[in-house]
Amino acid sequence: MKSKPIKIAATAVVLALAFLGLLYSTLRDGTQYYKHVDEVMADPGAWHGKKLQLHGYVVDKSILQKPDTLQYRFQVQSNGAVVQASYTGIVPDTFKGGAEVVLNGHLSPAGFAVDPNGVMAKCPSKYEPGKVGSPGS
Amino acid sequence: MATLGSFLLLASFVGCAYAMAASIAGARRRSQRLVESGIGAFYFVSALMTMASAVLIHAFVTNNYSIKYVQRYSSAADPLPFKIASYWGGLDGSIMFWVFLLGTFGAIAVYTNRERNRELIPYVVSVIAAVEMFFIFLMVVHNNPFSTFVAQGPGEGKGLTPLLQNFYMAIHPPSLYIGFVSMTIPFAFGIAALITGHLDDSWLRAVRRWTMVGWLFLSFGLTLGMLWAYEELGWGGFWMWDPVENAAALPWFTATAFLHSLMVQERRGMLRVWNVTLVIVTFFLTIFGTFMTRSGVVQSVHAFGEDRELALLFTIFMITILVFSFGLVIYRLPLLRARHSLDSWMSREAAFLANNWILLFSAFFVLFATMYPTLSEALRGERLTVGPPFFNKWMRPIGLTLLLLTGVGPLLAWRKSTLTNLVQQFLWPTTIGLLTGAVLYAAGVRVWASGICFALCGFVVGTLGQEFIRGAQIRKGATGTDIVTAMIGLVGRSRRRYGGYIVHLGIVLIFLGFAGEGFKQEEQATLKPGQQLEVGRFTVRHDALRVTNDAQKQMITGHVSIFQDGKPIGEMTPAKWYFAKHEEEPTTEVAIRRAFSEDLYVVLSGYDISKQTGVYAVTINPLVNWIWLGFAVMALGTALTLLPETAFSFAVSKVPEGAATTTLLLLSVLLWPTAVVGQTVQATPRSALERRLEGEILCTCGCRRPLNNCGMLNCAGHADQTAKLRKYLSEGKDHDAVIAAFVKDYGDQSILAAPVDKGFNRLAWLFPYLVGATGAASIAVVAFRWSRREGAPGTPAQNDAGEDPYLRARLDDELRDLD
Repeated sequence: MKSKPIKIAATAVVLALAFLGLLYSTLRDGTQYYKHVDEVMADPGAWHGKKLQLHGYVVDKSILQKPDTLQYRFQVQSNGAVVQASYTGIVPDTFKGGAEVVLNGHLSPAGFAVDPNGVMAKCPSKYEPGKVGSPGS
Repeated sequence: MATLGSFLLLASFVGCAYAMAASIAGARRRSQRLVESGIGAFYFVSALMTMASAVLIHAFVTNNYSIKYVQRYSSAADPLPFKIASYWGGLDGSIMFWVFLLGTFGAIAVYTNRERNRELIPYVVSVIAAVEMFFIFLMVVHNNPFSTFVAQGPGEGKGLTPLLQNFYMAIHPPSLYIGFVSMTIPFAFGIAALITGHLDDSWLRAVRRWTMVGWLFLSFGLTLGMLWAYEELGWGGFWMWDPVENAAALPWFTATAFLHSLMVQERRGMLRVWNVTLVIVTFFLTIFGTFMTRSGVVQSVHAFGEDRELALLFTIFMITILVFSFGLVIYRLPLLRARHSLDSWMSREAAFLANNWILLFSAFFVLFATMYPTLSEALRGERLTVGPPFFNKWMRPIGLTLLLLTGVGPLLAWRKSTLTNLVQQFLWPTTIGLLTGAVLYAAGVRVWASGICFALCGFVVGTLGQEFIRGAQIRKGATGTDIVTAMIGLVGRSRRRYGGYIVHLGIVLIFLGFAGEGFKQEEQATLKPGQQLEVGRFTVRHDALRVTNDAQKQMITGHVSIFQDGKPIGEMTPAKWYFAKHEEEPTTEVAIRRAFSEDLYVVLSGYDISKQTGVYAVTINPLVNWIWLGFAVMALGTALTLLPETAFSFAVSKVPEGAATTTLLLLSVLLWPTAVVGQTVQATPRSALERRLEGEILCTCGCRRPLNNCGMLNCAGHADQTAKLRKYLSEGKDHDAVIAAFVKDYGDQSILAAPVDKGFNRLAWLFPYLVGATGAASIAVVAFRWSRREGAPGTPAQNDAGEDPYLRARLDDELRDLD
């Protein structure tokens, strides 16, 4: 019965490889880079077309809404770097000037295009009132 | 008060330490007195924690804002239930609640098992006490809920976050905690069995019920969490693979795996290492879930905030658990050897094994993906995140495979299924499944995941139906009753098996709800008054925007009319509420129109008061209510299995344990939105006499109901009769005079809800009692005759059993279930 352990080992190897391959391929489309605005704007060209979760703060009074539509244009900044963002859809209640946001979307030369439902306004005070502060970058 | 609370915590810590030391010493020296004293100390700790909880709740109820925790999580304006719920609303209190629950559960487990598992108990006590010690230690050094302001504290509390001021939020965390905490008991028994080396199946028997109760509460907590997300957060879904949701789902996966694999050990003596491992892993995951939520390692909407020191303490505790438990497992490996090996892959053991692998794989996949951002940051220095699509991509096939196994498992025999057996068993369920798939395909369903899911649901329902019908037919043959009675009797007789099937039926319903997600439709738009939005077969028209206030909040309400296929079907009022002191975080009050086929889900996500415009997000969620219904069925099945043996004969007639919970959930699911919307208009105050008469005089609209209870809208006779009643009363008539006046006006007593209680009318009063008495008597007679017939001679049907095909079939059925 010398072949039995070999068979088991072979099956295990094949299964493991298949699993890893699947994981790798799905991870490649599934993952997004989690970056701050200044990290991305240091070298914008490198990030064009990549899936991003962009972390920053909405610039005060930069939010423009096309009247009677859900089209928004606004600026996001962190540590002095600013990027123009565009979005169509519903924004969270806490989305306003100065709010800390995480945006899902793509960077292009025209600015940051946010995916549908891709605006998440961070609200650090939600469960811990009084401990408002941004996590270190 | 705060000092008393802190003192109680310290006393519990000392008590735990003593309980642990005394029990271990007692067990090693075989001194029953020491063990007894350890158990006593253990009970005492539970009592202390109950007192500490009472102190904290008292502080909340009496608005004692000198205590920091109370000041932070409640305010004087909060309604009483939410003040009590604030106990577990924050980090410190939730840890304390955890210890309180653990103490209570531990005490119950120790009390009920102290005779049966005498050797295990001292170690069970010490393991639970050790876990309690860790959490009390956390509180004392790090998160003391009783810490006070050093200087003069603020006079007013901040109030519980409005998002949490909600019925589900008041009961969702305790339910999850109960689920988490009850998983500690199986762990304690498992470790005790490993330490003592009493690794026969007695510890499994002791923990099976606990695991089921814990599993039920975990499921309940998860369902409530989904309901909360669905009704409160207003994004139209119920599950988004948020780290905290995942944290709660992880032990659910492993606990489910354990509930299945312990059957294999009970029946076949296999998978013993595996079972111990599952118990340990489940416990570890409950602690890990708590760690993830409390320490801020992963970012989440739920997370309590970042806390390095807490993270460190938890990490040390978790490493200790892992090293200690798995060290013991390795040490006891020789005693854990399986008594049998797998006979065939076409057996129920194999199906269970596959189910276990998949469940465990799900747990580790979810764990991996949840930790992926943290992992990638640690390994590559770059934070990479994975979103819900990634989870869905993996969990969809996994879930479908599990569903398939749900149907396959019961069809396979223990040990080995023969080919004829397989054909006979699989024929109908497979046909039903394929038929469902084909019909759906012909009907034009092209969402593949949902389509396969429906087909598999058909397959599983086929399996379950076949099991019930076959069992019932056999029982029918044996007992001679009709098929429905036979089916109920069947469930009563082997509750574990059929209760389990009912749980599976619940799972099928839940999967139906998940599959409905594939047909979800969403639209968003900014609407001016009069403008409308079309979604599927519904049209939503924005009519007006209104602003109102009450003591706690300002409410912006959108009034919309709903049309289905062009016909008006009602009005809905989604709103935004701005709670005082939390104006920055308005809550979204979703308007949901529920139906079994689909929910219409309308959210007011923005507005402009000056232009009267509203921004609406409208979602159609097909089949979503089947999830909640499925949970109710699941709870019913679990409750059925949990009924104690002594309740055997009453199993059918008695109300099951979980029925109250189930009914409550069902009612809350069905009535919650109605209750919110359907506030009654307060009428002018009336005298007691008037109210009494309203109950005695009927409407003339034909509803044949008393005035105070007419179900007809715009009842024609209601206003007339009420006016007349008022008139007679204002004339100063008393009760009898008014009745007499009404009878005179209408010529006879038909205007009265009940005939006047005198003379010949007494007979009418007597009639229902007579009928009742006759019924009771006839039931008694029938019951008496039936019970006599069983013992009566001359019906030796059982004696020529050897040839009876029914008995043979029944024997086959039970053999398949046994071994």
